[in-house]
Amino acid sequence: MAERISIAGLTKVYPGGSHALRDVALDVAPGTFVVLLGPSGSGKTTLLRCLAGIERITSGRIAIGAATVAEGRMHVPPDKRDLSMVFQDYALWPHLTVRDNVAFALRRRRLSRDEARTRAADMLERVGLGALTGRYPNELSGGEQQRVALARALVADTSLILCDEPLSNLDADLRERMRVEISSLVREATTTTVYITHDQAEAFALADRVGVLESGRIVQEGTPEEIYTRPATPFVARFTGLSGELPVIIRGPAGDGIFEVEPTGPARIRPFHARGQRDSVTVGTALLMIRPAGVQLCAVHTGEHHLAGVVADVAFRGRGYEHAIDIPGNGRLTGVYSGVRAARGENVGLRLDAGGCHLFPGGEAAGSGPPEPALAAGVA
Amino acid sequence: MTVPPDTVPVPEATGTPRPGLHGRRAALRGRPAMWRLGKPMFWLLLIFFILAPCACFLALAVSPRLFSQGPQWFTLSYLHQTFTGATAVAVANSLWVSCAAAALGLAIGFPIAWLAGRTTLPGRRWAAGGMWLVLLLPSWLPALGWERLVQADGVMYRAGLNLPFVTHAIMGPFGVVLLLGLRSVPFSFLAVTAALAGLGQEFEDAARVHGASRIEAMRLIVPMLAPAIWSALAIGFAESVSDFGVAATLAYNSHFPLATYALYQDIGNFPPSFELAAGTGWLLVGAVALPLALQARALRGRSYQMLSGRSRQAVRRQLSRRGTAAAVAGVTLFYLVALGVPGFGAVSASLLGDYGGSFSLTLVNYRAVLHQAGLIGPLERSLIYGAVTASITMVGGFTAAWLLAQRKSKSTRILDFMLLAAVALPSVVFGAGYIFAYNLPIMSRLGINLYQTTTLLIIAYSASSLPTNARVLVGAVSQLQPSLKDAARAHGAGALLAWARGVLPVVSRPLTMAWLLTFCGVFLELPLSQLLYAPGSPPASVAIEDNLSNYHFGVGMAQSVLAVGLALLAVMVVLGGYRLIAPPGWRRIGGTARG
Repeated sequence: MAERISIAGLTKVYPGGSHALRDVALDVAPGTFVVLLGPSGSGKTTLLRCLAGIERITSGRIAIGAATVAEGRMHVPPDKRDLSMVFQDYALWPHLTVRDNVAFALRRRRLSRDEARTRAADMLERVGLGALTGRYPNELSGGEQQRVALARALVADTSLILCDEPLSNLDADLRERMRVEISSLVREATTTTVYITHDQAEAFALADRVGVLESGRIVQEGTPEEIYTRPATPFVARFTGLSGELPVIIRGPAGDGIFEVEPTGPARIRPFHARGQRDSVTVGTALLMIRPAGVQLCAVHTGEHHLAGVVADVAFRGRGYEHAIDIPGNGRLTGVYSGVRAARGENVGLRLDAGGCHLFPGGEAAGSGPPEPALAAGVA
Repeated sequence: MTVPPDTVPVPEATGTPRPGLHGRRAALRGRPAMWRLGKPMFWLLLIFFILAPCACFLALAVSPRLFSQGPQWFTLSYLHQTFTGATAVAVANSLWVSCAAAALGLAIGFPIAWLAGRTTLPGRRWAAGGMWLVLLLPSWLPALGWERLVQADGVMYRAGLNLPFVTHAIMGPFGVVLLLGLRSVPFSFLAVTAALAGLGQEFEDAARVHGASRIEAMRLIVPMLAPAIWSALAIGFAESVSDFGVAATLAYNSHFPLATYALYQDIGNFPPSFELAAGTGWLLVGAVALPLALQARALRGRSYQMLSGRSRQAVRRQLSRRGTAAAVAGVTLFYLVALGVPGFGAVSASLLGDYGGSFSLTLVNYRAVLHQAGLIGPLERSLIYGAVTASITMVGGFTAAWLLAQRKSKSTRILDFMLLAAVALPSVVFGAGYIFAYNLPIMSRLGINLYQTTTLLIIAYSASSLPTNARVLVGAVSQLQPSLKDAARAHGAGALLAWARGVLPVVSRPLTMAWLLTFCGVFLELPLSQLLYAPGSPPASVAIEDNLSNYHFGVGMAQSVLAVGLALLAVMVVLGGYRLIAPPGWRRIGGTARG
């Protein structure tokens, strides 16, 4: 049966004083697929390991269902938490066959050996490995090993499944196929799932809810749509995909969380609208964060553009072209989509859409140079 | 595309040929020819100095007529003789003692490896580092230390400690098993340490989160160390069965015959029986090869490979106060028995006069060693032998390792097998093979009169060290990327400079370590020295043995202590020299990362 996860005031300090988690609070409804998203060192793996019981918490409380599994010095060991886990390296025991690897997870169900093997074989059949039950892990491909790890996590019908970046070791094509399999198999099991990743596209594709971690804190939690359309902080906006950043001047509110803004510098053509939180942005200078979906390329002569720029680079992406546009005096926007190819060095116009433009207090862009590729490769 | 240097296309000259181009073309044409000659030459040397002597010696056991040593073209009678009488007793002793020693080595080495690798044991670095000292020390040295300590007229009795039960225990099968077992500990330690390093924490974590208690998780994890456990047992057994140091000292003086010494006696007795020695050689080779082959067969087709770049480093278990005390006491006891007690025995024996029963300490033995040419000479000689052999072997080992690291072909497979077989070959069989082969009349007819010369001893040292050296270097050489050298060539460096820039920095540290390994091994080597030394020029180990067998215990032990001191000094000089001379960039390669 799926269980609720409640985490309150969770702090983890490693010997040596390094703070991995700081006052983390998270509430996961039963049966929810929650993805914890964050860069390396943000504490997501530590949080998962604390949930699993592999790490002891320093302070705070973790409850799975009605049972508190960690609070202060109280610590329920991993084998008593009724959960299962898919590891980053799969952690398949190399001396056990595929069937025995999966059947191992049924020991806590106290089934007979034959029944455990039958259930393991059934589960392997479901993940498409029915013909490989007698093989050893080293005789399987990466994708097959991943399926065995998934079968092991699913077979015991635990109340909670934890996934530690399970797709990070797979190539791009296999990763996409395994993502779909994980999503459908885990949802069929109607269990609560906590999944960690540093890939925002993977997070948005899989999650019912997303928690974004920064320096050991959950800085925003919500549905993928909420995270994407209303990033709470510049960090969340940057980590979930940006085309670029511009310093702007807020002219005034235009209703319903929309503000009229005007870029600084010689590239400005005319004011446009952007989204901002009424209590955090005021008239004056601000930082505009532009999603790839919030900017469109248009010809200068149409007069529909808000900004002018020069094409620095163009990349064919199958469905169209992504351009890197230099904004005179204001750095560069990347991933600017157009169905038509613009030539390098060509003067172009940029039309900005309020839905993809987010305002934050402050007027300095993160950098005058081009943004990091990982930030630019957003969810279009 | 990478173009091998010897097939670099030379651009056609246009107009007037530039000066030197002709010479460059000639060099390019000449190099493959040199290469074509060099490779068979290397093979010829390997066959002549490693394969042929041992093969001839072993073939003698079944076909004496082949070497004009008897009337039979084919006979099994010599092999049959090894299963009867004193040889059979010695072989049986060797087998059971080696089994026990391998088990003892694992029983001690496994927990120390686990404590050093997976717990917060205080001084764990020292515990791990000390293993190299146990490994590098020739087995006859601790054996002599123990012997001089507990013998009836030894240090213990002269100090007033009358403990006959200790004497009886050490001077007998128990002592032999103990010493060979302690010698096996480093092999178990290194095998288990390597396996533990590759055993990521996630395997235990996976067991725990899927319902296994701590003990159940351990039961699941330990079989994953099976390759290491099998390796440790097989190597421990092979090392013990082929050991000559303990067999020639403690076991011989305890009237507990072992096979290696029986083989030595077959050759040394008058008249010598090379045929019977060859029969014993077959048994020794079989006894060494069988467990190694079984180990390989047991693990074939089953990959326990778990080390990946992303494996989570295992968490060190915090030992309780009582656990820490017990662990420290256990590890200290091991080093005390393996090094401390024999070291004390050797040093104290070297400070006692040979005659009289008193326990008055004196430096007379050291004065004698340092001032008499006949006593210090062997040490100086061994230093030179060690340095020369280590240098020859370093070049040969690198060449062999380089050949092994090439694309797998039939010749590299044969070389690989030959070197592995040679590693497993007991030194005493190797030495006996040399005596036999270089005494054959055909050698004189060919003008090869090497028997009883220092040259043959150095060749034997080099040939016996080369297989181990090549195995040590093959790892580093395999990691050499051809692109390193190619990049240097592409950016204008000549062949020699490209090698110095692209290859030498990467292999300099492993080459230094291989040099030291050979040097230490040869400096105090016993079986080959005993069998092949040139009359009048005994190396250190032979001189020490001679002194001890002539009851000059004090002088012999003083030579032993000075020899160990000299070996340690040489290691420090070489390592210190490398640190001073090698550019900082070279020292970083292969070093451990901080943090």
